[in-house]
Amino acid sequence: MSRVAHVADSAPDDDMTVAAVDSVAAVRDAVLDASHARRTLRIAGRGAWLDAGRPVQASETLSVRELSGITEYVPGDLTLTAFAGTTLGEIRAATAPHGQWLALDPFGDDDGTLGATVSTGSAGPLVTSFGRPRDLVLGVEFVTGAGVVARGGGRVVKNVAGFDLTRLLTGSWGTLGVITEVTVRLHARPEADQSIAISLDERPTAAAERTRQLLRRLPFAPYVCEVANDALARHLAVGTGLTVLVRLGGNRESVLAQRAAFNELGDVRDIDQNVWPALRGCEPAGANVVRLSRLPSEIGLTWSDAQSIVETISSGTAFMHATPSRGVVRCILPRGNAVSRTHLAEALGAPTTVTRVGERLENALWSFVTRPSPSDELAARVRATFDPHAILNPGLLGAVS
Amino acid sequence: MASVASSSPSSGLIDQALADRLAEIVGAKRVLFRRSELLTYTADALPSYNKAPALAVFPGSRDEVVSVVRELATRGVPFVPRGAGTGLSGGALADGVVLIGLNRLTRILSVDAENGMAVVEPGVVNVALSRAVAAHGLHYAPDPSSQAACTIGGNVAENAGGPHCLKYGVTTNHILALTVLLPSGEIVKLGNQSGEVDGYDLVGAFVGSEGCFGIALDITVRLSRNPEAIRTLLADFMSLDAAAQAVSAIVATGIVPAALEMIDQATIRAVEASIYAAGYPTDAAAALLIEVDGAIAGLEADVATIEQLCRTHGARTVRIARDEVERVRLWQGRKKAFGAMGRISSHLVVQDAVVPRTKLPAVLAEMHRIGKERRVNICNVFHAGDGNLHPNITYNAADADETHRVHEAMQEIMSVCVKAGGTITGEHGVGLDKVGYMDMIFSPDSLATMCALRQVFDPDRRSNPGKVVPMHSCREWHMSPTARPTTT
Repeated sequence: MSRVAHVADSAPDDDMTVAAVDSVAAVRDAVLDASHARRTLRIAGRGAWLDAGRPVQASETLSVRELSGITEYVPGDLTLTAFAGTTLGEIRAATAPHGQWLALDPFGDDDGTLGATVSTGSAGPLVTSFGRPRDLVLGVEFVTGAGVVARGGGRVVKNVAGFDLTRLLTGSWGTLGVITEVTVRLHARPEADQSIAISLDERPTAAAERTRQLLRRLPFAPYVCEVANDALARHLAVGTGLTVLVRLGGNRESVLAQRAAFNELGDVRDIDQNVWPALRGCEPAGANVVRLSRLPSEIGLTWSDAQSIVETISSGTAFMHATPSRGVVRCILPRGNAVSRTHLAEALGAPTTVTRVGERLENALWSFVTRPSPSDELAARVRATFDPHAILNPGLLGAVS
Repeated sequence: MASVASSSPSSGLIDQALADRLAEIVGAKRVLFRRSELLTYTADALPSYNKAPALAVFPGSRDEVVSVVRELATRGVPFVPRGAGTGLSGGALADGVVLIGLNRLTRILSVDAENGMAVVEPGVVNVALSRAVAAHGLHYAPDPSSQAACTIGGNVAENAGGPHCLKYGVTTNHILALTVLLPSGEIVKLGNQSGEVDGYDLVGAFVGSEGCFGIALDITVRLSRNPEAIRTLLADFMSLDAAAQAVSAIVATGIVPAALEMIDQATIRAVEASIYAAGYPTDAAAALLIEVDGAIAGLEADVATIEQLCRTHGARTVRIARDEVERVRLWQGRKKAFGAMGRISSHLVVQDAVVPRTKLPAVLAEMHRIGKERRVNICNVFHAGDGNLHPNITYNAADADETHRVHEAMQEIMSVCVKAGGTITGEHGVGLDKVGYMDMIFSPDSLATMCALRQVFDPDRRSNPGKVVPMHSCREWHMSPTARPTTT
């Protein structure tokens, strides 16, 4: 039995119809109906990512928020299967009593859904140690743009049966299919889990590089190691000035040794674990968020590129944080006025060797960060195969029109 | 000069004129067209199949590979890319089509120690890469048992695993970017060095595509740092069940061992009777080979926890390797187990399946029953930490009745694993051997969707034809569901 409920109060746009479906069959029927009528669909979970990615023009929203619940969880297998609309918070609540967790901390909060996290391929600071969603997703079920229900992968931690539809769908932003169910790999919680901060008073580019070099030498990988600028450190109440935020996990002896190793950077002080949800949720509404990346060894250069973008707004209020192990710097820019927007557009459009990925941007800014990729043509063929009438999230990926 | 007879419909396209044209590209010595010369290439490491290619060609450079594939594209000739031929699923067999050997493309194009990555040609041997970067304190983590011979290109095609994948992940977790030659002759770049991709994960789609999506011309891999310290333990148990329980208990602590392998009694006895004798106790029902690695600080605490858990779950003895010599010896028994079994009998099938870890005791008991009922000798040596079983059956292929019983046992084992919520292959691939099992785990729509993805890369299905997805699933792709049930 399937049900399609029309939910008026959660529509992201006032004039958009939202269909909330609570079964895979209902998702398929909604997609088929739209496909036959050539109506376009905005695919949504709980709406946390609707302002992320390039603007979508769709005739209605298809929400999988009602398609929720954990369908299988055997703690001894360290795997969990849940419908797409299940929130990260629900997964945390189910796994925590067994000393386990899903080591994904996408920016935002735990009200985000598993389906959206996987669909957008979103990863947070834990990426340093646990990898991206592609590394933790074991299987997906999805409905293609033509209404075909397909599965990739499975429910076991190792699997090479068939072509890898799981990784193809992960991070495809709902443009190849509507993800309806996901199986993920869990991790057991460590004996000790501790967070520390170190304030650095040197130039930020040098500090980011020194942190990366230390990470390269250490015989262990911390769970998290982020470098935050002064504005972000103050916002998180972990100190002032450039601040390195580290999360350490392992047995007690190991965590003690890891903590001691960071003394090489500067004075280590303990901080509250609440810093991590605070970091995830530090984006003000309507902020422009851009991620810059190069090879890790060029983190200093990437930081200065990020700095020049931040300075077009108002350097005092913009947040920046780097993941030195991956060579990534994220800029979180409160929305400015028309003048600052023009400056930001210029900075984003400047020729550079850095890879710029827009996370959240005002519509007018997207064309400045979108670059052609050598695999665009192949990607377009994949899209045309899975969503022949381009009804799923049109505009979100692919060539800019 | 007589060509090899073949029933393949494409055989008419593979003639002396093609051989001559390919010889112009790669040199006459690098084109094999006589039946006697092609015999070497009729099997991979799985002895159950013998399929002769109509022609084999061995390009020596990237440009030669491109020219060969473009020539075949012009003529509409199907081909099979092959690395070292160590695969265990018949995936590299070229039945009456052209075999393209990539084992001459052995250059490591660049090593970036600072950023932990390397760019290699597809024919680079797995262990050769680790050796080449050892001076930087780095290694390439995926370590299939055939690592002394298998190639990185083959590893990419199969999404190869290995004992240390429990902690470090399988091939797909270590590939950052690829330059791919599509069967049409078109060259595409997938992914990038930073691993930050804005768009579809086409690297993820290509890895594990078993040669059906094209040929990787160069591969950018992630390198891993060598651990500061390694500790290896051998625990032996009087029942398989107790050993399986110990595996679950270890994983539940949050310690992620670098490897967690189980070796059953039949395998222990085969190993101990061979030149690879590692000192495993021959009266034990099962032994666990457990390795932890990482920073020295805290490592002994993990060793102590593991030792304690093994004893709590009934381990009779727990031996901790005192030095590198003893460590290598303990591993030798595991790594050479297949070779040791080969001594017992003329033929050996190495099977590969995965079950949820908690189902291991029940599935192992079922396998014992199947072996008894079918009167076949099943040995188990496998990656217990991730539930990846490798039941092996030794037999005499000249005995038709025994061979038949072995086939039946294999099918029954697969059914048991699938029923337990598992899958038909964890690391060896589907190839030719497991195409018939794909219907057990995927719906017709899922298989048709996989087939459609393949057609994006290879619209004519000329690259490694007939592998991975059953032919009947590749019906004309209308992108419409097979049926639309009525809803209320």
